Amino acid sequence: MTVIGYLANGLVFSSIIVLGSIGLSLVYSIADFANFAHGDTMTIGAYTALVTFGVVGGLGGAVLGLPYGFFLALVVGIAAAAVVAVVTERVIYEPLDVDSIGLLITSIGIAFVYRALIQIRFGSDFTRFDIQPLRPIESLVPYGVRVTLHDVAIVASAAVLVVGLHVLLQYTDLGRKMRAMADNPDLARVSGIRTRRVKLWTWVIGAGLAGAGGVFLGLFNQLSPRMGFNLLLVIFAAVILGGIGSVYGAMAGGFLIGMINQLTPFFSDVVEALPIWPGWLASLLESLVSIEYANAIAFVIMVAVLLVRPNGIAGEGAT
Amino acid sequence: MSALTDPRGAVEELTRPEGWVLGVSVAFLLFLFVALLTGALGPTYFLFLVGLAGMYALLSFGLNSQWGFAGLINFSVAAFFGVGAYGAALFTASGSPLAELFEGVPLIPSLLGLPVVGLVVGLAVAFVLAILIGIPTLRLRADYLAIASLGLAEVVRLIVLNERWLTNGSAGVRGIPGFFAGWPVLGTFPEAMPGLRLEVIPGSPVLLETAFWRASLNVLLVLAFAGGVYFVLRRAHRSPWGRVLRTIRSDEDLARALGKDTYSFKMQSFVLGSLVMALAGVFYTHLNLYVGPGDLDPITTFYAWVAVILGGSGSNRGALFGGIVIVTIREGTRFLNDVALPIDPAPLRLLLIGVVIIAVMRYRPQGVLPPQRELIWPSAVDGGGAPESPDSGVRERKGGGGDE
Repeated sequence: MTVIGYLANGLVFSSIIVLGSIGLSLVYSIADFANFAHGDTMTIGAYTALVTFGVVGGLGGAVLGLPYGFFLALVVGIAAAAVVAVVTERVIYEPLDVDSIGLLITSIGIAFVYRALIQIRFGSDFTRFDIQPLRPIESLVPYGVRVTLHDVAIVASAAVLVVGLHVLLQYTDLGRKMRAMADNPDLARVSGIRTRRVKLWTWVIGAGLAGAGGVFLGLFNQLSPRMGFNLLLVIFAAVILGGIGSVYGAMAGGFLIGMINQLTPFFSDVVEALPIWPGWLASLLESLVSIEYANAIAFVIMVAVLLVRPNGIAGEGAT
Repeated sequence: MSALTDPRGAVEELTRPEGWVLGVSVAFLLFLFVALLTGALGPTYFLFLVGLAGMYALLSFGLNSQWGFAGLINFSVAAFFGVGAYGAALFTASGSPLAELFEGVPLIPSLLGLPVVGLVVGLAVAFVLAILIGIPTLRLRADYLAIASLGLAEVVRLIVLNERWLTNGSAGVRGIPGFFAGWPVLGTFPEAMPGLRLEVIPGSPVLLETAFWRASLNVLLVLAFAGGVYFVLRRAHRSPWGRVLRTIRSDEDLARALGKDTYSFKMQSFVLGSLVMALAGVFYTHLNLYVGPGDLDPITTFYAWVAVILGGSGSNRGALFGGIVIVTIREGTRFLNDVALPIDPAPLRLLLIGVVIIAVMRYRPQGVLPPQRELIWPSAVDGGGAPESPDSGVRERKGGGGDE
């Protein structure tokens, strides 16, 4: 594959990471804790879509190689993830009397409960959406780009969602309230914003985007009960890279981490070609920069960023 | 101490949760005892479970000296546990690639296969890893530390999974001897002991054979490990060093204002805890006689976390209690699957762990057995008789989450 081919794959994977990281960052800034259940919220979206798609079927026509029924399943998956998150917020998080660390630990418990329930219902095996896998788009193959129409659909849908979120945050009343609340919750409250309602909307949007990310992840790879949890740390890396609490930073971070993740084979080619001295360093780098370590590289970048810029690339001054 | 001279008074002094825990534990022990006598529970398997509970208690002690003492949110427990386990396993296993690796190097080949040397190696590797992970992460804010340490633990797991030339990849390491293999008397003790046949209830005899004696040696070993660690940690916690850590936990700026190098103290606490976790790993290697990359799964980390937050952070007896609960969940789900409900034990276990975490945070965020008297010198309580001990204010601020 050529560099352009890797970049194209990176773009597809980035779209999924961006969807996950925006939601995580929103919740981080407004509910004020690191939500470890975010990855499993993605899993919920994916499995709900799987069930829905199995029930409604194709519904006739198709767009970008995806039947209409899939888009309906996508919407249902987004709704289910949002509903589950709101119910969790109301039933579990809200009555808790603990600090943000306590909320973090609780969210791990919630992540386990989500995953366990899905695993009990669907088993731990991999499954797929019942959609015919497509061949790469013919006209792009000569350039070394092997993307299918499905990949195009993923990128396009993610772009629509991200632009929609941008409009919502910048130009609507709710968006202004959310930004005010992320900035200073007490000030937002005394100026008459119903912070509880804004918090619920934050969960709806964050979890909804996560659900969409989960559905696309299932389409891009496969579905398994661990899919979300496995991706969670990559998403955290993206959020930290972008600066916690900054939605636009999360987009940038998600884009970068997704790219780096998919470009790993290219990097390993580069490492092999470079004249590195001494020899043991070359062989060490060659064995470490490989596809098996794609996620590990993302984590190491995350830690490095935390060391140099603890507030991320778009983070504000205060911690 | 006082429990021996004045049992009635000691029981009356217990707080309500302490009474509950004591009652439930006694009932559980009786249940196990009856199961043992009737032969429903094999004695060898029972001792394996005791060893496992001791192992989780050790793991929790390690986490406790990081989270309970200094407030460090370390989500890389599995990495230290795994490094200890793999270090000891690779050094002692019969088919280990280290034998080839060190061929021709003086001294080392003759040390290979000795469990005591494996113990030292496991701890040494964990020490290095603790420093490597600690340097970048301990300066970070609490929640960043959590994420970063989980990420680095995942890096360690990926390395163990993928470096097949050393770790045998996903197949894991087999051919590990027991911890006492090659020791003068204890090495041959299980084989030397005669097989016993106890028949408490007619028709269902209880057989005590070589495997049983081997398992009882393991239990002795874990008791020695856990006892030693408990003693060291208790001393450490009550020492001036431990007081500084508690200050850091409740208010790091205050500790810094008092002229303490908080980073250095946090690093010491982190390394101490990591060594204890690695010790648990070494014991696990010789208990289970097999290690695989699955042991480094994040779930191991959260087992230890459940044990600690369930028991009460900073409380060592709480950690012991938590360890027993974890083993009950781990093995109870397997038992349930065999006997009653045909539910796959893995997700059920996950569900129970999740529910326990949520329930503890909801109803008792300070844990079931929060540290009370054990943190301060007994004389401080006996003399004053006042419940308002100097460090209770510190603890309330931490556990109560007054920030909201």
